Amino acid sequence: MSSFNGLDVTNDKTRVAVVAAGMVSPLGFGLEDTLLSLRKATDCVTPVSRFDVTHCRCKTAAQISDERLLGRRKTGRKKARLHRASHMMIAALAELFEDDADFQPEVTIIGTTSGGMSYGEDYYRALQRHENLRRSPEWIANYPPQKPVLDAQNEFGISAPCFVIANACASGTNAIGRAFECVRSGKYDRVLTGGYDAISELVFVGFDSLQAATPEKCRPFDRDRTGMVLGEGAAVLALENFDIALQRRATILGEIVGYGISTDNHHLTQPDPSGTGPKRAMEQALKSAGCAPDQVDYINAHGTATLFNDAAEGKAIAELFGDVPVSSTKSMIGHSLGAAGAIEAVICLLALQSQFLPPNINFRAPDPNVALNIVANESRDAKVDIALSNSFGFGGTNASVLIQKVAA
Amino acid sequence: MRPGIAGMGWVTPLGRGVEEVWNRLVRGDEATAQIISGNEGTKSYQAFLVPGDALKNLPLHPRLRRASAISRFAAAAGLDAIAQAKSMNLNIDPERLGLVFAVSNGGVTYTKRFYHGIVESGAQSASPLLFPETVFNAPASHLAAILGVNGASYTVVGDGSVGILGIKMASELLETGAVDYCLVVAAEEADWVLCDAYHKWRLTKSSPPIEPFFDPPHGTILSEGAGAVLLGAEGNVKVVSINTGGNFSHQRNAPEVVERILRDLHDQTADIVASANGTFVDLAERDAIRKQAPDSLVYSPKPALGESVGAGALWQVIIAAQALASKRLPPVLHSDGRAGLRFSTGAEEAGSAAIVSSCGLNQQAAGLRLSI
Repeated sequence: MSSFNGLDVTNDKTRVAVVAAGMVSPLGFGLEDTLLSLRKATDCVTPVSRFDVTHCRCKTAAQISDERLLGRRKTGRKKARLHRASHMMIAALAELFEDDADFQPEVTIIGTTSGGMSYGEDYYRALQRHENLRRSPEWIANYPPQKPVLDAQNEFGISAPCFVIANACASGTNAIGRAFECVRSGKYDRVLTGGYDAISELVFVGFDSLQAATPEKCRPFDRDRTGMVLGEGAAVLALENFDIALQRRATILGEIVGYGISTDNHHLTQPDPSGTGPKRAMEQALKSAGCAPDQVDYINAHGTATLFNDAAEGKAIAELFGDVPVSSTKSMIGHSLGAAGAIEAVICLLALQSQFLPPNINFRAPDPNVALNIVANESRDAKVDIALSNSFGFGGTNASVLIQKVAA
Repeated sequence: MRPGIAGMGWVTPLGRGVEEVWNRLVRGDEATAQIISGNEGTKSYQAFLVPGDALKNLPLHPRLRRASAISRFAAAAGLDAIAQAKSMNLNIDPERLGLVFAVSNGGVTYTKRFYHGIVESGAQSASPLLFPETVFNAPASHLAAILGVNGASYTVVGDGSVGILGIKMASELLETGAVDYCLVVAAEEADWVLCDAYHKWRLTKSSPPIEPFFDPPHGTILSEGAGAVLLGAEGNVKVVSINTGGNFSHQRNAPEVVERILRDLHDQTADIVASANGTFVDLAERDAIRKQAPDSLVYSPKPALGESVGAGALWQVIIAAQALASKRLPPVLHSDGRAGLRFSTGAEEAGSAAIVSSCGLNQQAAGLRLSI
């Protein structure tokens, strides 16, 4: 059966529906809030409040308010011990189950980069300063990257085996891609996927030390871009065998149609300037979808606003897609690392559903070396049937997913 | 498709190399613990460390120049597994080779050093050289660069059972035809701060031996190293079944999850390579084996090699594969004879199937069955 966008899906591979999603990010709690903020081109970047940044070059990040995040939590000693990342995952999953209470995953695949890092910081700082270590067992037990995922699963009575992918900043897209492959292979009918990351001092200072973080505004693909800002959040997507979803009359938010992964061995932290790594991931995603480049209506770019990423990614996009509209929503919400791919996939779903192009804010002047059609500063209405989301990370991991609109 | 084990590599406190480590286990050797002291506190701990000469012939690759111990362990084990496969005239094309790296604690030493600089001297002193090595997928990145892997590379993080999850992911990549071979590598490095954390978590003891299956448990000792398993169509030892298990929100629920896994994997002729390490895991496995596989021959490598957390399950897989190939299991060291299990003494003939049971310390359990 060929899908309505005319993609070549006449092979025997199982189609993969997104039947529910949930998200918490600096743009808001839930898809509705997020859509409003995207439409308004909200700049969520504010001065860092969680730790001291006096000696950092960058002093801003896109942060989720604790008041709103932790205000949601149920009382109880056990809940109080959970890491902020656990609360983000729980909030995102709560929204997903509000959409589709019947979704029971057979397996969970989630991306992250730093797990409960700030608890590791608390422990080490207390140790170093000979402070009270009474809370250390709880810091240590809640530090591992799988813990926020298991906490969220426990909250909703899910006991599915849990794969946590830590492919640096590509983790979220890799998780969605693997989940897509699991359903597409016919081995699984329902997979829960997504990504999360909570801001931490170690990671913030790390990017600052590399001079990858900017002391100014985050301006992806701009001629005068000076670097990234960090963000945080969580997003989850419920993937299901398309036919089964149709049979049970589930709401289908979109269809994942392609996934590509490549490894760029140029350098641990810098992409090959030729853009071959990102290009290979995007080509693979197109191939797996049976999709031609000119069928893609929108690209949510990795677009960190670092000199190297945007040059390599921009070159690859321009070579493959010509003037397709491109934006990096990291300009609004910063780079949420392992959550980024999942958040941006949900943003693509919103673009497909609401037929608009999310904006790339703080954009002033095109980079003469990167010929892209940037959705500059304001969202705009557009016909969007197929969207591509890119994520690239340290270690040279590149991942792309293709998502298409589903006919009502 | 049942993937076969086409090559293996092993870096442990008992040395490097599958044959070398295996022979020592069969002889009943156990690693010697070393004292680890840290600047962070006056307390010292004991851990099983990889001997310094184990990595002496690692290739001089630029990626390993500044790499952490965990990356070197991973590279050594991964390269040994590929070398073993090539020695059997298998053509391993990097373009068709996938990489799955399994880990639990990751590059703790560099992470600690990086953060120590921030705590002691402020953010301005943070090292841009150290930061990239702190990410979980740094070892996978280095190994991919050395091997020339430019396709699928995944780093999977979890507790002690993460190696089984890595094998599951690799099996699925092979099954879908995404790759022809998939190298699964698991590694961990020991550090004072890890010893302190696990001590404060009340899981470790002050000195060896690790005494498995005692009730109540006596505690474990951390170790380090790496294991690598190259999966492909070839290989006499096949991965017959994998159970990615489930999660237990409390330690008291672990027996139920482990029992479910054993019930699913059990075969009357299978021996069991257990993850018993001197913690609550032992009682979970003891109860599950008593109910589901009371006649199985049981072996746990942890008294000899220590608890290497993220690398542990892959070490068990290597042992299970060696047991099937050589028809014997090493002797269990320091176990409680009252546990009601049939422990390997080293004299019994091993069966034609082996189950790896892996119960982690932080809420995850999984298992797999190999046969020859």
